[in-house]
Amino acid sequence: MNASRSILAFLLATSFSTVVTAADVVKIAITGPFSGGSAPMGVSMRDGAKLAISQINQNGGINVGGKKMKIELIERDDEGKNDRGALVAQEISSMGDISAVIGTVNTGIAVMGDKYYVEKGIVKIITPAAGSASMTQWSKAGTKDLPIFRFASHDGIQAQMVVEKALKLGFTNVAIVHDATNYGVSGRDDLIEQINRQRGKLKVVSVEKFAIGDKDMTGQLMKAKSAGAQAILIWGIGPELAAVAAGKEKLGFKVPMIGGWTLSMSNFIDTAGAAGNGALMPQTFIEDESIARAKPFIQAYHKAYGVTRIPSPVSAAQGYDAALLLAEAIHEAGSTTPSKIKFSLENLKVTVKGAIADWKKPWSTWNPSNVESHEAFRRATTVMGKVQNGRVVLADPSEKFVLAGTTAK
Amino acid sequence: MDATYIALAQMAVGGGLMGMAYALVAYGFQLTYAAGKAVNFGQGELVMLGAFAGISLAGTGLPYWVSVLGAMVAGAALGWLVERVAVRLALKQHNEGWILLTIIVGLFALSSVENIWGREDRAFPAPWPTGALDIFGISVTWPELAIAAGALGIMTLVELAKRYTMAGIAVQAVSADPEAAELCGVRSRSAISLSWAVSGAAAAFAGTVLGPVTTVGPTMAAALTLKAFSVAVVAGLDSGFGLLIAGIALGAAENLSGYVLGSGWREAPGLILLILALAIRPQGVFGKKIIRKV
Amino acid sequence: MFARVSIGLRETTAERIVRIALFVGLAALPALWQGQYALGLLTLMAVYAILLIGLDATVGYLGQVNLAQAALFGLGAYGTALAVQAGVSFPLALLAGIIAALLPGAALALPALRLEGPQFALSTLSFATLSVIVLNESESITNGALGLSIVRPSLFTVELDARGYYWLCLLVLFVAWWVSQILLKSRFGLSIEALRDSPTAADALGIGTLRHKVLAFAWGSALAGLAGALHALNFGYLQPAAFGYDLMVMLLLGVVFGGRRSQWGAFVGAAVVAMLPNLLSNRTLFSSFVSFGCIVTLFPIFRALISRRIPQFAVTAPAAAMALALALSLFAPNVEEWRKGIFALFLFAAVVGLPDGLAGAIASMVHRLIRFTPDPLPPASGGIRSAGISVALPLHVMKLSKSFGGVRAVDNITLDIGQDEVLGLIGPNGSGKTTFINLVSGLYAPDSGTVEIAGTRPVPGSLMSACSAGAARTFQNLQSFSGLTALESIVVCQRDGGKSEAMGWLRAVGLEEKARQRCSEISYGDLRFLEIARAIATRPRILMLDEPAAGMSKPDIERLVALVASIKRAGLPILLIEHHQDVVAELCDRVAVMDGGRLIALGTSDQIRRDPKVIEAYLGSDDEEANVEGETEVQLC
Repeated sequence: MNASRSILAFLLATSFSTVVTAADVVKIAITGPFSGGSAPMGVSMRDGAKLAISQINQNGGINVGGKKMKIELIERDDEGKNDRGALVAQEISSMGDISAVIGTVNTGIAVMGDKYYVEKGIVKIITPAAGSASMTQWSKAGTKDLPIFRFASHDGIQAQMVVEKALKLGFTNVAIVHDATNYGVSGRDDLIEQINRQRGKLKVVSVEKFAIGDKDMTGQLMKAKSAGAQAILIWGIGPELAAVAAGKEKLGFKVPMIGGWTLSMSNFIDTAGAAGNGALMPQTFIEDESIARAKPFIQAYHKAYGVTRIPSPVSAAQGYDAALLLAEAIHEAGSTTPSKIKFSLENLKVTVKGAIADWKKPWSTWNPSNVESHEAFRRATTVMGKVQNGRVVLADPSEKFVLAGTTAK
Repeated sequence: MDATYIALAQMAVGGGLMGMAYALVAYGFQLTYAAGKAVNFGQGELVMLGAFAGISLAGTGLPYWVSVLGAMVAGAALGWLVERVAVRLALKQHNEGWILLTIIVGLFALSSVENIWGREDRAFPAPWPTGALDIFGISVTWPELAIAAGALGIMTLVELAKRYTMAGIAVQAVSADPEAAELCGVRSRSAISLSWAVSGAAAAFAGTVLGPVTTVGPTMAAALTLKAFSVAVVAGLDSGFGLLIAGIALGAAENLSGYVLGSGWREAPGLILLILALAIRPQGVFGKKIIRKV
Repeated sequence: MFARVSIGLRETTAERIVRIALFVGLAALPALWQGQYALGLLTLMAVYAILLIGLDATVGYLGQVNLAQAALFGLGAYGTALAVQAGVSFPLALLAGIIAALLPGAALALPALRLEGPQFALSTLSFATLSVIVLNESESITNGALGLSIVRPSLFTVELDARGYYWLCLLVLFVAWWVSQILLKSRFGLSIEALRDSPTAADALGIGTLRHKVLAFAWGSALAGLAGALHALNFGYLQPAAFGYDLMVMLLLGVVFGGRRSQWGAFVGAAVVAMLPNLLSNRTLFSSFVSFGCIVTLFPIFRALISRRIPQFAVTAPAAAMALALALSLFAPNVEEWRKGIFALFLFAAVVGLPDGLAGAIASMVHRLIRFTPDPLPPASGGIRSAGISVALPLHVMKLSKSFGGVRAVDNITLDIGQDEVLGLIGPNGSGKTTFINLVSGLYAPDSGTVEIAGTRPVPGSLMSACSAGAARTFQNLQSFSGLTALESIVVCQRDGGKSEAMGWLRAVGLEEKARQRCSEISYGDLRFLEIARAIATRPRILMLDEPAAGMSKPDIERLVALVASIKRAGLPILLIEHHQDVVAELCDRVAVMDGGRLIALGTSDQIRRDPKVIEAYLGSDDEEANVEGETEVQLC
């Protein structure tokens, strides 16, 4: 039985030992689901951030207090599972020499794991998880000093835009359809809140949900149809969204789908095919090379990863810009110490030219009564996109200036 | 007719057609169980691999039917491989290692698919007409009909082969009594291998007919294994065409309860019925009664 | 290869010392490895170990693939979380977790445990899926998919920090381990193992299947609830999706990888489940680990090659799997993305290469290196004696019939066995002898007719009821409890008396020497004697022996005859099915002959031999022979 102890000791020793610290690198961790159902978002986010980091490293690294430091990446797959995500957060926060973390797709993981970063004061930029709870948990708790920032158009904004769009298109009766995960359920709650704010202009005639992996949505859609819905407000991820589109086609239920940014995921657009045309969603980024600011990023991504289409363009672009912003903050802090990076993220001096926008002081000092202080995206930086023949295009071409614009924020 | 009834009928028909796909996958369980008293808990992964193989073959420009055949050949090879690496040893040692080993092989298959074909769901190109047929107010799509026809076709074909070919008769002999079959000159090992290969081919075929309806992706496997396993056990692992009835019933029950109780509860009544059915008839609704021999 | 070292300790003592050392070491670990992550992993490991010890009760001891443990774990976690929200104290919250898993677990056990194999697995799986649905859909109670956040209450005014909480989990694990060990080594645990190895024999010998199955499942569920409670208080955030199929597969693999039927195995499995995914995230460590594994798996291949044998599949497959894992870890463009696949290869190598799990492999290595002092055996006492005088007939069978499909296996048989009588039951193969015993002993319910054992009428079709009425039997095809030792096999069957009396029963059949041997290691002939000892240890009023001499060697048959004769002398009536004519002739007071399900003759051995119907049954209907009635004697069999 002694042998089992020594094996255990070996396991413990190997899994705890941290990488030897090298003084001339900045360590950044990227976490997200790199396998499993939400992997397209996690992998795109990771690859976008890695692209930015490799570009920075090719230029010699970040200038930190007069010394060029390269960025060293630590990747951790949270598999989209809460427990695993919490352990990953514990691991990264225990490494002792991590300057910042980028990532998280699943809101539940942010809720379960981010407290470990907060305890240690490690900077984290959440992207692309959009669920409201990842930031509101801190305002509810009244946390004073928060090192968690979000770089994603959160569901509050998105729900507002979706509801506004529905009203603008002249609808009065809508159905809400959402998935049964944390993301879908909190999206539903955000939608209902926004609809209530419109004071009766919009009526929810049916609320339906579906599980991850469901392929047959006819039941939900038939209920929505018989309740007289003129549009489907939807919160879910790619494969199930595609199933909803297919179900609509099958039933001949020709009403528009308006929903979260996930309607731009390639696994929705590809699988839905013609049935997906006309779906509307808020977008911070569109994989359209005719937009000058986005072109270099899109081309670099395609070249680096040998693809012609980004699996989740929004995730990739947000990962890319988040990494650029973080690098700038480290440069301005002149230090790899998380608390200093946090301060400079809250007070960024230089405007960072990203793939999505020119970021001019996207965050401000944390104020527990105002979540927006640590949210980078505003209503004004987000546009409505539309699925058209396998691509996402601007729903309203007059909004092109928002994406091309030089004065984000 | 009342709109509610049409809606219910629509749900039942759609569910029943999906249920035939469950039955087709479950048929693979039945084949291997008959031959060696083991089933592949990674059967869903075989379905997925078959579908991906079909997509890749169709992607090279081959006609649909040729890609389906190619996928079935690949499925047969994989089925054979699973038996060889994960089942044979455990059966020799008379333990339940095969349950875990088939799960493990499935896990490896899943990881390989994620890395070779990617993590995204893909559409399966099929030559069926798009759009839906309207039968008495119930819409049915062509790919759904293809599932029904495919399930019936494959099961009929294999059942005929079991009765009228030498190899089929040999497999039946081995499933009745492997030792007696050996004494009559049947190599039980080859018969078992053959059953697994046919089971793998059936799974791959299921992938190619399911693909156009559900899309193909790494996440399709787990749910499919569970549903098919439920159908196989509820019908009875030796129930033959009883599978189809159990599959249709399960699919329809799921859809109806989702419609009536709310989609979150979709699976609940089916599961409760399943536990009850097993408690009352452990050998399965259409299975033969087990006589304990000592 | 090595000389075994004698250390002058009993194995149980040595195990206890190592176990306590392990816990002392684990408790001291936070002092060596600082940091939240280490504590997080260790706490998770302790929680999983409790969970796996519970799972092992069903998967290992009961031998059934239980797929509900993850869901029960979740129910326990939610029970605790809701209790905490209601403001109860720490210990009550733990209790709430245990109850939240125990009650549904026990409720599930009732229908599910009549099932075996795939059917059992499926019903537990259905239950698990159902639990997750209920947790997800009861939004008003559980907050559904949004998840439930709780703050850990203080334990008796002590606010536990991460380290304190780890120690608490460790303490709970220690107690759970200890209690499980005592429980599973007790008569209760032996009974569970007995019914795993042969449910039929367990029922026929009055051990009782259902009760023990339900209790084993309840114990496993209670531990799942306890682990869930600790888990909820550890992370403070719960979502239903975390307790689904993925976790279940990991747990199952953990138990098998660690080694079934051992708390050590559960502990090793928990360590692997908790640590390995994290270990795999570090590329350098990971590839060195894989290389190490690869080298280890190569050893048995070399050993086979040196001794000029072709390596077996069990040897080559793990090496091939590890080689593939090594290739992936070195050449795959992104190892992180192959993590699951490499993990699968690891598990494959372990499951094929170590059928008894890691703990089992280590234990057998220890046994090869160290000789332990054996546990002392109590002196034998008692011996064969009758169950006391009863006025009623030991066995009274009236018009018993049973058909299978169209075959009348037993057709209208009426038969009595008197006090002190040995009745032989003979007949050609397939004549219904074993079916007759199966009906009397309650394995089958008769279509019609009655069985009375020592004046009472057992419930038809209930082995347990027949056994408590006083029937005991052996089996034509051995039904030994292969996981138990000879002594343990007797202990589980005894109605009363302790180990010393169990030794007495072994002495009676001449197996005193083999008391410590596992049934799986005992020879065929001796197992037949052990079955007889098991049967008489229940102190029956009628003993039924189904072909006890089948396959026995000549000297063993002589031993058997002597044994049956001594049982007869002790006043225990016997129903003996036997083909050996000399055995029947020597032992039986009367002989009954069956053919085609019917009783065709009854009388002394000599009368039977001359009975024309018997001759016809054995030799076929032949006019010539039928004419020379009275002059032909058949060699029965």
